[in-house]
Amino acid sequence: MAADGSALEQPDDGRVGVSIDGRDARFPKGMLVLDAATELGIHIPIYCAHPKMDPVAVCRMCLVNIEKFPKPQPACATVVAEGMVVRTETAEVTELREGMLEFLLLNHPLDCPVCDRGGECDLQDFTFRYGPGVSRFPITEKVHFNKAVPLSQHIELDQERCILCWRCVRYYDEITGEKEIVLQQRGVQTLVATFNDQELQSAFQGNLPEICPVGALTHREYRFVSRPWDLQRAAGVCPECSYGCNINVDSRDFEVKRFASRDNPLVDDSWLCDRGRYSFPVWNSAERVRRAAVQPRGGESRDVSVDDAVAAAAAELRGVIDEHSGEAVAVLGSAQSTNEECWLLERLARTVIHTPHIDHQLEAFADLTAGEHELGIAEIEECDTLVVLGPQPEIEAPVLTLRLYKAEQKRGARVLRLDADTAPARVAAAVGTAQRVGLIADETNRAHAARVAPALAGKRSVRMLTITRGVNGRGAKDLGVLPNLGAGYQSAPASGKSGREILEAAAEGSIRALLLLGPNPALEAAGELLERALRKLSVVVAIDTRPGAASRAATVLIPGHALLEKAGSVTNVEGRVQRIRTALPPATSAPPETRVLSALAGKLGAKGWERGDVLTVNRAMRDAIPAYAAAGNGGRAVWAAEAPA
Amino acid sequence: MAEYKLLTKDFGTERLQTLSVYESTGGYQGLREAFKKFTPESLVNEVKTSGIRGRGGAGFPTGTKWSFLPKDVFPRYLCCNADESEPGCFKDRYLIDESPHQLIEGVLIASYAIQCNTAFIYIRGEYHDQRLLLERAVEEARSAGYIGKNIAGSGFDCEIIVHGGAGAYICGEETALIDSLEGLRGQPRLKPPFPAIKGLYGQPTVVNNVETLCNLPHIVQRGGEWFKSLGTERSTGTRVFCCSGHINRPGNYEMQLGTQIRELLEEECGGMWRDRSLKAFQPGGGSMQVLLPEHLDLPLDMDAVAKAGSSLGAGAMVFMDETTCLVDVSMRLVDFYQHESCGKCVPCREGTYFESQLMHRLERGEASTSELATLAGICANMDGRCFCPLGDTATWFVMSAYKHFGEEFEAHCGAGECPVKARSVAMVA
Repeated sequence: MAADGSALEQPDDGRVGVSIDGRDARFPKGMLVLDAATELGIHIPIYCAHPKMDPVAVCRMCLVNIEKFPKPQPACATVVAEGMVVRTETAEVTELREGMLEFLLLNHPLDCPVCDRGGECDLQDFTFRYGPGVSRFPITEKVHFNKAVPLSQHIELDQERCILCWRCVRYYDEITGEKEIVLQQRGVQTLVATFNDQELQSAFQGNLPEICPVGALTHREYRFVSRPWDLQRAAGVCPECSYGCNINVDSRDFEVKRFASRDNPLVDDSWLCDRGRYSFPVWNSAERVRRAAVQPRGGESRDVSVDDAVAAAAAELRGVIDEHSGEAVAVLGSAQSTNEECWLLERLARTVIHTPHIDHQLEAFADLTAGEHELGIAEIEECDTLVVLGPQPEIEAPVLTLRLYKAEQKRGARVLRLDADTAPARVAAAVGTAQRVGLIADETNRAHAARVAPALAGKRSVRMLTITRGVNGRGAKDLGVLPNLGAGYQSAPASGKSGREILEAAAEGSIRALLLLGPNPALEAAGELLERALRKLSVVVAIDTRPGAASRAATVLIPGHALLEKAGSVTNVEGRVQRIRTALPPATSAPPETRVLSALAGKLGAKGWERGDVLTVNRAMRDAIPAYAAAGNGGRAVWAAEAPA
Repeated sequence: MAEYKLLTKDFGTERLQTLSVYESTGGYQGLREAFKKFTPESLVNEVKTSGIRGRGGAGFPTGTKWSFLPKDVFPRYLCCNADESEPGCFKDRYLIDESPHQLIEGVLIASYAIQCNTAFIYIRGEYHDQRLLLERAVEEARSAGYIGKNIAGSGFDCEIIVHGGAGAYICGEETALIDSLEGLRGQPRLKPPFPAIKGLYGQPTVVNNVETLCNLPHIVQRGGEWFKSLGTERSTGTRVFCCSGHINRPGNYEMQLGTQIRELLEEECGGMWRDRSLKAFQPGGGSMQVLLPEHLDLPLDMDAVAKAGSSLGAGAMVFMDETTCLVDVSMRLVDFYQHESCGKCVPCREGTYFESQLMHRLERGEASTSELATLAGICANMDGRCFCPLGDTATWFVMSAYKHFGEEFEAHCGAGECPVKARSVAMVA
């Protein structure tokens, strides 16, 4: 305190006191006025500014009055300072917003009625909210540009609607580094176009229509498809890979019309890959298993109620267990199933059927531990060096590429893309003296990555991330749908057969019954072996969504729900447990898988399985597995290291 | 007080463009003295003492600009702005044409002061002959040891690269110049960071006008105190004024700052042509506000002209006689800005287009009186709200012309006749 006691020294908490529209608050140093206002719930309209990109301050919509500045300042490019007094409601600001909107609309075609963006367009919205009622510009003197220019199979550009906010150009500069879109000409003739008129090549072009604040860049797949207010939106997780990008599933008339990004800075950072984004039509397929059926070997298939099918399944399984033992039964789950289903399936196998033969994929992973995904996606940015073994991780989970680029561009990290089989010593040499190393591999190269990691060990931190396959590939592993591990990577009481070994044993006759929870595209890789095994098995209980080898060979078939028809949770590559919500009505009247599995367990004589609704199962799972309880919705499941035997 | 020849003292000497003749007039003595008499720091201080302000238009004190460079960050760059494109401005071309070595000497002195080892001269694309002349002079200076390693035995190294622009007015704006030099679209950058902190290739950079740099050999040789004795207290030294318009002797005249504008017009330019009277003049090039005959008594002093509501800008004096229609002039200038707007920010890109459409309607007699209010509204929404000064200044002339000659604008409205044209036709007939 000062000697005269007049001034109390503010401790430096890294924050500064700012007043915005008469509201005082403290904000971190370096924060933009725009973000500070947003924190206070004060809306400042923006076009060029984008939360994931550096400011350019060209649209001038966010100009606000700041005391001591004679001219209005761009809120998107001005950082807060101690004692700053910002006003966003002055007559000058109101008038300049009207003026900027009048300018923006001068050469805009105003074709909102036929524009895909109508209803979710910032130009429309801000014009209603802040704009002038009329234009003083003679409509005959507009500058015209090309409309509906195809830039690729996915993207269409309307140069007239473009307001030249530069977001698409900066997206390619800052987010992907591909520089496919450029500005051409100058002044009022300025337009965006692809470099040398080449077709867009990027694997991330689907983000362009989302960053475009107007209807200049649109999805060709969504052209004239729907108005936003006719869409039903459900928050979900992209089903295409295990990276776990958050999405909104937008459907209309019970069909998915598009996948839209839903920003999760810890996972997708608001970007989707085209493979994921444009994978939505597969969920509209009418080719589905719709009715439960019983088809005894050598007999006729007949439709039955789900209750009868479950009873028949229990009876057939019981028959095999009684005649042989639980070990004559195998259980195959899937990386497409929810955590709740995986958890039930694992307990059904190990505690009800008493079989160790459970898996969700073909090959067994030796020495699988939770250490294999210690490195979180967002933590990639904290590494100073990232080693990516082979191209597979980025092929399997394309959005990873953008996180690596961000680490490189914005955090100064070094990304070493090495051959998948690079010798550990050579990896160590390439890494040099880096202190925080991230080691990324896919499942095929996980064993090699495990050999590389010790070669890097030392005083630095080395964290690994293995890119799993299937939307819930990590959840299936976490929850022990594995032959050698139970939930939480703990050793299973008895070691069982891997997916391929199960099929081989079935084909050769020592496994007699199979419980299949589909859909499981991984199994199809087994090809002829799968067909042979299914033919030989005396009991095949299949819960599946699509007609295929399993449904054809099933002695008891129960229709399953597609992922978008289900509620529950899935766990992404880094162990993040994320909620999925019902986005489409089910294509079958059968109850959801959690109820079917619970009923089956009940019929097999298990106690305490009466309630199979997702909420009950989810609660029971979290009670049983503390890591999942701690992860909650959106957190990462952290596993304690296995106690030494 | 007549012309005061400091930079232009030896202009007209035969073959002054060659190194040997330039040296025979005392050329490169300034550079040698700079090495001998000054450390880089003391040279910066000497230039501060001289009080010289930038001659490119903004009039920022040169020494102060240099002292903004962060200590110990290298390399640093100097960019000589020779992208002279202000309508009515042709002094830099004259300075290069007459004495390219004087500019090179100035570039070297500035480079020494700011410890830069690579300097660029960014010259506008249309100055093709001047670029060749400069390139020849650079070669000559290099073979004489003034450019390259260990210049004149001083231990100081400096390369000079002459770079031709591609024809854009905006590239005279310092950050757009830097972008253009880097091979990017010539568009202004967001400030801060200012070029002094992060400029060319992300390094500390000084951008100085041709005329500013041409002053340096003289400041070094005769001292900052002496230089300060020229001109007025806050506008020191001389400036080369590009005089054009309806005058008897258009051309470049170097005047001590502080001289009356009337003297420049009447003594150097030979007064208005054909005994016509002065209607208006523009003291700083196309961007600056129009002044009236009553302002002829103003001194050529940056602050005095600013106080009168205009600016000395880049030193272009455009005198207009009574036959000039200010609506016509405004339209032409607005068209220029509309054509040169880089398109980066909304108010400049769209505003200049709107302005230009309205001015054409006015000129064609299609505009209604209410559109004059629209014009004023557009200009108000541009001035002070654009990304860089181009858009701001695109409104200054037209708004000042409207202020002083409103009745002329109104007469053009609603299928009106241009009153000036009618009068001029009568006068000539």
